[in-house]
Amino acid sequence: MSTLAERAVARTPRRLALRFGGMSDRAIAWLFITPSVLLLLAVNIFPLLWTIQLSFTNYRANRPNAVLRYVGLDNYRDILTDPEVWQAMQATAHFVLWSIALELILGFGLALLINRGFRGHSFWTTIILLPMMLSPAVVGNFWTFLLQPQIGLFNSGIALVTGVDPSSFQMIGDVRLAPWSIIMVDTWMWTPYVMLICLAGLRSIPDYIYEAAEVDRASPLRQFWSITLPMVMPFVMLAILFRAIENFKMFDMVNLLTSGGPGSTTEVASITLKREAFEKWRTGYSSALAIILFVTVFGAANIYVKALNRVKQR
Amino acid sequence: MAEVALLDVGKSYGAVEAVRGLSLSVAHGEFVVLLGPTGAGKTTTLRLIAGLERPDQGHVVIQGRDVTREVPAERDVAFVFQQYSLYPHLTVYDNLAFPLRSPARRVDEKTIRRRVQQISELLHIEHKLGNRATALSGGEMQRVAIGRALVREPSVYLMDEPLSSLDAKLRAELRLELKRIQRELGTTILYVTHDQIEAMTMADRIGVMSEGALIQLGTPREIYERPNSAYVAGRLGTPVINLIPARLLGGPVPPQVETVGLRTEHIRISTADGPGPRAQVHWVEHLGDQNHVHLKLATHSLVTLADPVQPLKAGDQVSLEFESPLYFDQAGRRISADGLRGHA
Ligand SMILES: Nc1ncnc2c1ncn2[C@@H]1O[C@H](COP(=O)(O)OP(=O)(O)OP(=O)(O)O)[C@@H](O)[C@H]1O
Ligand SMILES: [Mg+2]
Repeated sequence: MSTLAERAVARTPRRLALRFGGMSDRAIAWLFITPSVLLLLAVNIFPLLWTIQLSFTNYRANRPNAVLRYVGLDNYRDILTDPEVWQAMQATAHFVLWSIALELILGFGLALLINRGFRGHSFWTTIILLPMMLSPAVVGNFWTFLLQPQIGLFNSGIALVTGVDPSSFQMIGDVRLAPWSIIMVDTWMWTPYVMLICLAGLRSIPDYIYEAAEVDRASPLRQFWSITLPMVMPFVMLAILFRAIENFKMFDMVNLLTSGGPGSTTEVASITLKREAFEKWRTGYSSALAIILFVTVFGAANIYVKALNRVKQR
Repeated sequence: MAEVALLDVGKSYGAVEAVRGLSLSVAHGEFVVLLGPTGAGKTTTLRLIAGLERPDQGHVVIQGRDVTREVPAERDVAFVFQQYSLYPHLTVYDNLAFPLRSPARRVDEKTIRRRVQQISELLHIEHKLGNRATALSGGEMQRVAIGRALVREPSVYLMDEPLSSLDAKLRAELRLELKRIQRELGTTILYVTHDQIEAMTMADRIGVMSEGALIQLGTPREIYERPNSAYVAGRLGTPVINLIPARLLGGPVPPQVETVGLRTEHIRISTADGPGPRAQVHWVEHLGDQNHVHLKLATHSLVTLADPVQPLKAGDQVSLEFESPLYFDQAGRRISADGLRGHA
């Protein structure tokens, strides 16, 4: 009897064996991971380091030949005292919090419904999942049409239900409604995703736990509070994490739908960033803003993941 | 009065008849053990009583009330599940307290604490109360599962192989504890096990199941000494009863006897030439306090226990003597020594 390793060696073609034969396991391991590490350095780490460096300068990408001057922390100071940036942060927070809240409530509700396994539930699951399979660009574009006050289906629909004149309100053009229209479209698109994660959580709870609870005379409400909710919690928190990171850097859908307007009511942080970088060409300044956003998301996500782990440990 | 009664209950899963025509009644304060091979329908029987399954036919009666249409919560039973079924996100303490915290029960937190403490000491898990339920060994989980049933005082306890994953010492200890609790509190228990020692020592009555049907119900002695069939005889006793065609043994047997059932206590081995049939020692297994002797009797093999002082070794020729063995007819039903069909 030969061991598995010996048999593997015996089957390795001779030329390969000659080439790798002399190498230690460690060397072979390095051989395999080096390409990925190089790729990671090239497309992630190197740009990050460069951005950090640029954030301390007055560099402008549209004037590559101008004299580069190091300005220290000036960019950071300017950003943190800029009321426009703070407004963008507020707009972002409003968007992130409300969209997540709505997606959670709707997504969890739908997951509970589908988990009960009514007739044809797999068909409906597929239908519900459709929006999240579309590209954000497509979604942004066709919601622009849907929300168009004169010919948009959305306005006509609201008019049909409430009786108000369809052209009497503009979802995208109105200062009060515009922040809610981006929340609405994001909710429409990503509720299915939250539902899917919640459904995975619900499916992970074995039936026998509910059977034990039933024999222990726990009412359906108590079963929900003391079994379903705590056991789905890690999944819900994961959904929140994914959605929060995504929406914090939301750009495409909002850019297509409102481009930050009207005024700057829907100007979320990433749109400010784009304006600073590619309209005003303040590359140094926008690099600093990018770093600030990155640190914020990274820090928040880290704290959050710790909390998530605690919930899972419980 | 019957605490629990099943009246002609049947339950199928698709084409599988898990339980059929089962009638069983457990008296108040009685300890009934269900014994049977895997897939015999023991768990299904317990689930039918608990209300986790609806019977296709028949009735379930608890404390004189027909509960066939009631949900588990209304039935007031406690269930120790075969696969533990602990609440994985709760601590051991909260697992044990869970049934007491039912709003319908209104037990105050102080009573709960005392009760949980008491039960956890009884089951030797008091040092694990703060652990999460998933951070336990299999045996500890099983004890928590038993504890979760014992904190309550239901009309009947249903226990599905509750001691199966404990080590021999703990099992023996808990066996005695359970029996003591049951006797002292006069609780009613329906208990499923594969372990004959548990069945023999704990049961007031044993029910032997096969393929969804209850074949015999009786006291441990009755089941052991007067099994109604060769099948039941094979469920109890170690080594397993030897079933030998009557014609091989010679000697006088009651009419219609096809098979003779020989337990260890029915067989005497002597090395001297005796009148009985002759056999050859095939091999001897040493168990320490006793020996398993495998014998070859013509084409049949026989296993019996022997005193280790008796000098037997492979190849020895011995003669056998039998003392009041069990007789079975062609269909496997037992025939008593006086030639009558035996019924429990
Ligand atoms: N949920 C189910 N769906 C389909 N068939 C089932 C189901 N539960 C049990 N059965 C079948 O019913 C029969 C009896 O099962 P049961 O669980 O009652 O056996 P058991 O006597 O408890 O066996 P064991 O000693 O292995 O626990 C088996 O043939 C089993 O395959
Ligand atoms: Mg079972």
